[in-house]
Order: sequence, then C-alpha cells, then structure tokens
Amino acid sequence: MNEGVIQGGWPFVWAAYAVTTLILTGYATSVFLRYRSLRQKREQVKP
Amino acid sequence: MPRGKLPYYSVALGALLLLWGSTWGLFFAPAETYMGDVQRIMYVHVPTAWNGMLALTIAFFFAVLSLWKGGLDWDARLEGALEVGVVLCTLLCMQGAIWAKPTWGVWWDWDPRLTTTAVLVFAFGGILALRQFVDDPVKRATWSAVAAIIAFADVPIVYFSVRWWNSLHQVQSTPATVSRAFHWPLRINAFGILFLMSGLIAVRARLAALRREDELAPPLPAAVPHGASLAQGVRP
Repeated sequence: MNEGVIQGGWPFVWAAYAVTTLILTGYATSVFLRYRSLRQKREQVKP
Repeated sequence: MPRGKLPYYSVALGALLLLWGSTWGLFFAPAETYMGDVQRIMYVHVPTAWNGMLALTIAFFFAVLSLWKGGLDWDARLEGALEVGVVLCTLLCMQGAIWAKPTWGVWWDWDPRLTTTAVLVFAFGGILALRQFVDDPVKRATWSAVAAIIAFADVPIVYFSVRWWNSLHQVQSTPATVSRAFHWPLRINAFGILFLMSGLIAVRARLAALRREDELAPPLPAAVPHGASLAQGVRP
C-alpha cells in the first residue's frame, strides 16, 4: 500500500499518449495529403 | 539534401525523437513520488505546451512581418503557424484534461491557466475561421495579421498565469522545477515536437502559398463542351 500516491494511473497515461499520437499523426497526414492533392491538381491544369 | 524536402525530413526526425523520448518516459523513467505513473503524461504535455506557445509566437512575428513588409508570402507563413499552433494548443487542453481527472478529480476547472489557454485556442481558432469569410487576399492578410497581434497578448498571460494568480495548475516546468531524473525524456520529446512543428508549419505555409497563387491567377477560359461549335454560340 503506497499511501499518498495516486494509484491506477496507467489508463490515463495510455489515453494521453493515444490522443497525442492520433492528433499529431492525423494532422500531419491531412497537411501532406492536402498539399499533394493541390500540387497534382495544378500539374493537371498546366498547359 | 534538397531544400524542398527539408520539412519532410524535419517531420520524420521529429517523429523518431518523439518515439524515443516517449519510450524512455513510459518505460524507463522513474515514477513520480506523489503522482506515481500519471506523471508520465508530462513527457508529452509539457513539450506540447512549449511548442504550441512557440508556434503562436512565430505566428506573431509572421503577422508583424506581414504588416511591415507586405506581400502575401508572409501571410501564407502566418496561416501555417496559426493552424499548427491551434492544433498543438487544442491537443494541450485534451492532454491536460486527461491528467487533471486522476490528480484534481475533475476533467476541467475554470482555473486561470486553463481558462487563459482556452481563450488562446478560441482566439487563434477564431482568426483561422475568420480567414474563410474574407475573399480578398490582401484584406484577409491585413485583418488576420492585426487579429493575430492582438490575440498574442494572451500568450504571456498563459505563461505567467500560474505565478500571477492562485492556480490549481503547477508552476512552469523548467529544469529548476523538474527532477533531474525526468530531464532527458522531456528534452527529447521537446525537440521531437519542435522538429515536427517546424516541418508542418513549412508544408502548411507552402500549401497556403499555392492556394493564394490559384486565387490570384486569371480564370481559365471555359471549356467548350464536346461536339459544340463556336458557331452555336457557346463561346463568343
């Protein structure tokens, strides 16, 4: 018994790391896809 | 190394550093005396806070340069820094809520640090939303630069809020306030998010610049439908 120490913290730790991974990966993917799609669109339009 | 690929390398390096720092923080760093394992959230929360504030500070300098030098290139960079800053600060609030529940017993509290950070997210997020409603690129650049400079006033308030007012939130995490055993994973993740942030701002700014070029380009002539002739009056 560890008195004065918060117990059962791991689910919160995993949740924080999962949210971080999800948001950073999702945002980075969205930026790269938006940039690539715009470049491809411009190349198609080029005479 | 080709300069055009630099942001991609920066993002890749950032991801690798984050993986290294997080593995160290999760499995090898000691648990904190009172918070136990929950404190491991610090290794992502504090670097997100530092880099979120840094991204908005960069946005402030781009806003000043946009007004001072003119030209839409600075506005494209401003758009990149604003968006990345808002994403990081939103993530910061989410990580903070997850850390608050086991330590304070609540997901959210209207404490000075949390409230000023929420104001920051809504102020800079509002500028990004405002940009969608302004069609003229020059007016959009001017208005968003002015708004970003005004909104930036909240950044030092967020930083010093824990010193100026009574706050549930702990004081700023610096080498002086954090145990030596926690320094390395914290530093590695801070550089990880720094490289990630820099690369993403650069790519997002390029995207904004391309969109601006498209906006300013003269419209392409309308396509002639297949089988129609000019004599039919399709084109003057």
